[in-house]
Amino acid sequence: MFKKNIVLLVSVLVTGFSFSQDKIWDTFDGTRALSNHSTEMLFKKNLEFRVSHKFGDIAGDNGGLQNFYGFDNLADVRIAFEYGITDNINIGLGRSKGVNERTGVVDMFGKIRLMQQEKKGKPLNITYVSSLAFSYKDASTDSTSSNYYQTMTERLIFTNQLIVSRKFTDRLSLQLNAGYHHRNLVTYNDVNGLIFTGGVIRYRFTKTLGLITEYNHVWNRSKDTEQKNPLAFGFELLTGGHNFTIVVSNHKGVNENIFLSNTTSNWLKGQWRIGFTINRRFKL
Amino acid sequence: MKKILVTFVLLMAFGVTLLSVDVTINNRFSSLNKTNDLKELSVLDVLLELGDEKPDHYLMRTNQDSVRMGYEIVHLGQLKDKSNSRLSKFFVCTDCHNEVIEVADLSTETTGDRVSYGVKNDLPFLPASTFYGMYNKTHWYNGDYSKKYGDLVKPTRDTLINAIQLCAVQCSQGRPLKDWELNAIMHYYKSIEFKIKDLKLNQSELNQLLTDLATHNTRSIELLKSKFKSINAATFGDLQPKQPDNYSADLKTGEYIFKNGCLHCHGMGKDITNFEFDNDKLTLSFLKSKLKKHNSYSVPYIVRKGTYAVSGRRQYMPQYPLEKMSNTQLFDLINYIKSKSK
Repeated sequence: MFKKNIVLLVSVLVTGFSFSQDKIWDTFDGTRALSNHSTEMLFKKNLEFRVSHKFGDIAGDNGGLQNFYGFDNLADVRIAFEYGITDNINIGLGRSKGVNERTGVVDMFGKIRLMQQEKKGKPLNITYVSSLAFSYKDASTDSTSSNYYQTMTERLIFTNQLIVSRKFTDRLSLQLNAGYHHRNLVTYNDVNGLIFTGGVIRYRFTKTLGLITEYNHVWNRSKDTEQKNPLAFGFELLTGGHNFTIVVSNHKGVNENIFLSNTTSNWLKGQWRIGFTINRRFKL
Repeated sequence: MKKILVTFVLLMAFGVTLLSVDVTINNRFSSLNKTNDLKELSVLDVLLELGDEKPDHYLMRTNQDSVRMGYEIVHLGQLKDKSNSRLSKFFVCTDCHNEVIEVADLSTETTGDRVSYGVKNDLPFLPASTFYGMYNKTHWYNGDYSKKYGDLVKPTRDTLINAIQLCAVQCSQGRPLKDWELNAIMHYYKSIEFKIKDLKLNQSELNQLLTDLATHNTRSIELLKSKFKSINAATFGDLQPKQPDNYSADLKTGEYIFKNGCLHCHGMGKDITNFEFDNDKLTLSFLKSKLKKHNSYSVPYIVRKGTYAVSGRRQYMPQYPLEKMSNTQLFDLINYIKSKSK
């Protein structure tokens, strides 16, 4: 009887092993493409500590040598812990400085993997991410400001998005995302709900060096605001245990709840900046 | 009068006990009239019957519940029902140990045999010794393991339980095992101890063994012990190995070692190491570019030295002693990496 059990267990393990062999991994290296989420997930019981940082404008009025090309200024910084409840369900909690009127931002998200690409079989990675951000700083007394909060719920911002990606070759991965971004309180000339789509291209030169481009387009922006669509280019440098990305972007924010609607920087005015992200994974 | 009666009863009881033990042993071996029955017996039981000494970890028979628990701890790091805490958050035993025979000839256990038998049976090619027959060994953490673990190996050298405990705490960077867990693992080990059939005795040797069992002749003890290695030797190789004389590359062996060795832990999605890779050009080119360096990114260096547990990154890689991967095989691995990265 026991021998039978062993045979059964071994065959189950072997089948499980061969299934996992068929899966495609590492479409992106980290759980973020650059600023936005990627389809990658943390493994169960893995905790990731992330620090994302954006400096000030490289050129333009606030850049140049006087501000050491933005390094003297801090546009935004996010410190976060993210955790794998299972291989397919992740949660995260972060705090960022924030951008414009949305400062002192606590964000949290839940992320679920609906499909993973396989060598033969499933063609795509599909992930759904729902996140919210909460600005805890004192409300403005200016009734025309976007942080003239009257109630707690007005402080909330939500972003829900479906992300689809595919690893085409060992070197090339593409990602498309579409979602809905909602701010409970906006200025009189703005709209609360924004519909956006985006795309990411990752090309790896070597095992440890890759180039990533990320763009998100909002389709129903109010024409009365100065909002711009966030675009970023970045290099990823991978070392064992963590990845390091260096980014050039127009957006200051590092959380999707901020950069989708709080990007007012213009590439043509030199309002682009260097940023970086470092992360470290721990097993719990 | 009362004293005499009590003494008499005690003597009777003692006699009956002796008799019953005798009956048990006789039952086990007296029915052996065919060599086929003999093949199913455990090697240790036969050795004991022939007059050999019991090891410290001796168990008369396995308890199936304990075997199951031991199996679960070895495979999952804890019981399946999760009623005990995980042994280690980094490794389970099967990351480094097989549980089946790894060679065709147990009496020699050559590295060439390990590869050819491993290819034939698609076995993981691992740095640590298989658990199959671990129960039959007499010494553990042998040879150069003292260079890695220092005095920690001393209590493990002749006591299996201490060896398991050192593996749990040092190699897997986990917690010490509790007594019941050690006991369960020992029962599991006993369930995969050597059987007579594993030793591949020829017909005349089997006949001799059968005769010797009947007559309690101790000469077969030597015969049995010559058929398997009672210790797993460990010799650490040179960190900058030189290509063996008259070497010609065997890329098939290199590929087997890469896929069933390296990728056993470093494969994508395994979540065992911090450095995951695939059998793809990007990885192999990366590994090739590091071959000339003398650090832990270089394949020969890491194979021979492994890595050590450091603060902040406690999981580490065990090294392959020469008994587990020969220098020729290491060069096969290096040449496979070079050949595929072009």
